[in-house]
Amino acid sequence: MAALCSAVGVSLGAVVRFLVPSVFYGPPQSFKIGNPGDFPYGPPTFLADEKIFVFRDRERGFAVASAVCTHLGCTVAYFQNDRDFHCPCHGSVFSPTGAVLYGPAPRPLNWFEITLTRDGQLRVDKDKTVPPTYRLMV
Amino acid sequence: MKWIREIWQSIVRRDPLSTDKGKSELVFLNVWLHIHPAKVKKENLRFKYSFYLGFITFFLFLILLTTGIALMCYYRPYPPAAYQDMKDLQFAVFMGSFLRNMHRWAAHAMVVCVFLHMCRVFYTGSYKKPRQFNWVVGVMLLLLTLGLSFTGYLLPWDQLAYWAITVGTNIGSYAPLVGGQLRELLLGGHTVGEAALLRFYVLHVAVLPSLVILLTIVHFWRVRKDGGLSRPIWKLKPQKTEALVTIGAPAAVAPLQVTAASKDKTYGLMEVVTGKPIFETMTPEEEEDTVFSYPYAFVREAVALMATVTTIMAISLFFNAPLEEMANPAVTPNPAKAPWYFLGLQELVSHSALLGGVVLPAMMVIALLAIPYIDRNPSRRPRERKWAIWLFTFFVVANIILIIVGTFFRGPGWTWVPPWVHVVARPE
Repeated sequence: MAALCSAVGVSLGAVVRFLVPSVFYGPPQSFKIGNPGDFPYGPPTFLADEKIFVFRDRERGFAVASAVCTHLGCTVAYFQNDRDFHCPCHGSVFSPTGAVLYGPAPRPLNWFEITLTRDGQLRVDKDKTVPPTYRLMV
Repeated sequence: MKWIREIWQSIVRRDPLSTDKGKSELVFLNVWLHIHPAKVKKENLRFKYSFYLGFITFFLFLILLTTGIALMCYYRPYPPAAYQDMKDLQFAVFMGSFLRNMHRWAAHAMVVCVFLHMCRVFYTGSYKKPRQFNWVVGVMLLLLTLGLSFTGYLLPWDQLAYWAITVGTNIGSYAPLVGGQLRELLLGGHTVGEAALLRFYVLHVAVLPSLVILLTIVHFWRVRKDGGLSRPIWKLKPQKTEALVTIGAPAAVAPLQVTAASKDKTYGLMEVVTGKPIFETMTPEEEEDTVFSYPYAFVREAVALMATVTTIMAISLFFNAPLEEMANPAVTPNPAKAPWYFLGLQELVSHSALLGGVVLPAMMVIALLAIPYIDRNPSRRPRERKWAIWLFTFFVVANIILIIVGTFFRGPGWTWVPPWVHVVARPE
């Protein structure tokens, strides 16, 4: 009986393991987004493929916010008038620092590390989250 | 002509349908029909009792199977071909639009009919002993129907599909312990993409339909084994009711009874065992209330089938299945709404993903599954089960209200916008 159970268990485990991909073909988490000069001051630049907002401030420099709502993953929109982020799916609203102002989102928006590479380009690493005060001066 | 008759006889192998024996043999010598009893109780045929909702649901499933297989001939389950194939079906394939419409509207109708069927079974108390387990099978079929709807509307790979898959699998990731892995398993990756579409396709065309077919077989089999189609037993005469509820497990100490075999009846293997059957048995007086399945039941089923198919066809002629723009990961439509039957869930989720998306639905499902085991009241008389009826009605009304709120009262950004107010979305 024990042998049978373990045989069935191992087989089921193998089936589940089979369904988990060994190789993920998703987009890279760390990527270059271009030269600092490409980004204007003022309203953030939205990079659609990477789902990030790139902020550039004259005094404080660069910062990158995630455009993925922490609730259920919809893409938030930035409203210049109020300087906040609105999620169209379930109505979450985030402050300019990404804090939850309203709605069901459980966590603030993520901010990602942005660095300058040797060839003078900006690199964003989505695996490294940083506090909203993080800035890169160029 | 004799040889034609001979071939026909070799196929059907029964007496002419003008005889009672022929009518019985039509049912139990035919593998497809023998799930029916040879004779049915007259009350079973009453439309006003069951509204034939179980049959209609099954017929809708047949429409979905046939139209679904047809649509598979023109569908490639990877982006962006999936979306292009939708456009092909709409504009290039002969009858493509019509078949897609039929598939979509039959799917919507099936969700409605499964739900109404469940309500009918509840309000008539038909989940009670000895039918408890068949109710459980029915609830599983309801969940599978919703699963098929969910995986189905992802396949066009339009905006609705993309954002539904995103939101749906993210709800799954809120499940305790296994949430993250569950999402990865469903998507076949970290993000919604090709692998996810392929997996949902496999679920939609192979895994879930197989499960539905298997459970439907069990469901039908149990209808027969649990005493036939449900009927308003509380409306029968008292003494009959009494005879009918003598249901219980086989008596362990029942003495071996030797009964003389009746001359005009034949008996099968059942005759060599002793003990009362678990299911409802028919008394001789009741047998007088029965009619042959052929033609009385079969004609009604055929009419229900034709009415179902005709209705779906008529709707499909005049209303096109929606198709949004091609999936665009960068832009979430505002508001991003699920199909109507998931808008109640979306409304719950808009308050809390964990509570509304995982805990409450899980509790609802568990409560539904447990109904026949919680409700120990043996009476099926509506007057004697007021509490059960009130509770279930509350459940039904709450679900409908949530769906209405989600459908008509939510505007851009999921804000409260009554349908009579016109809102212009703010510019970014």
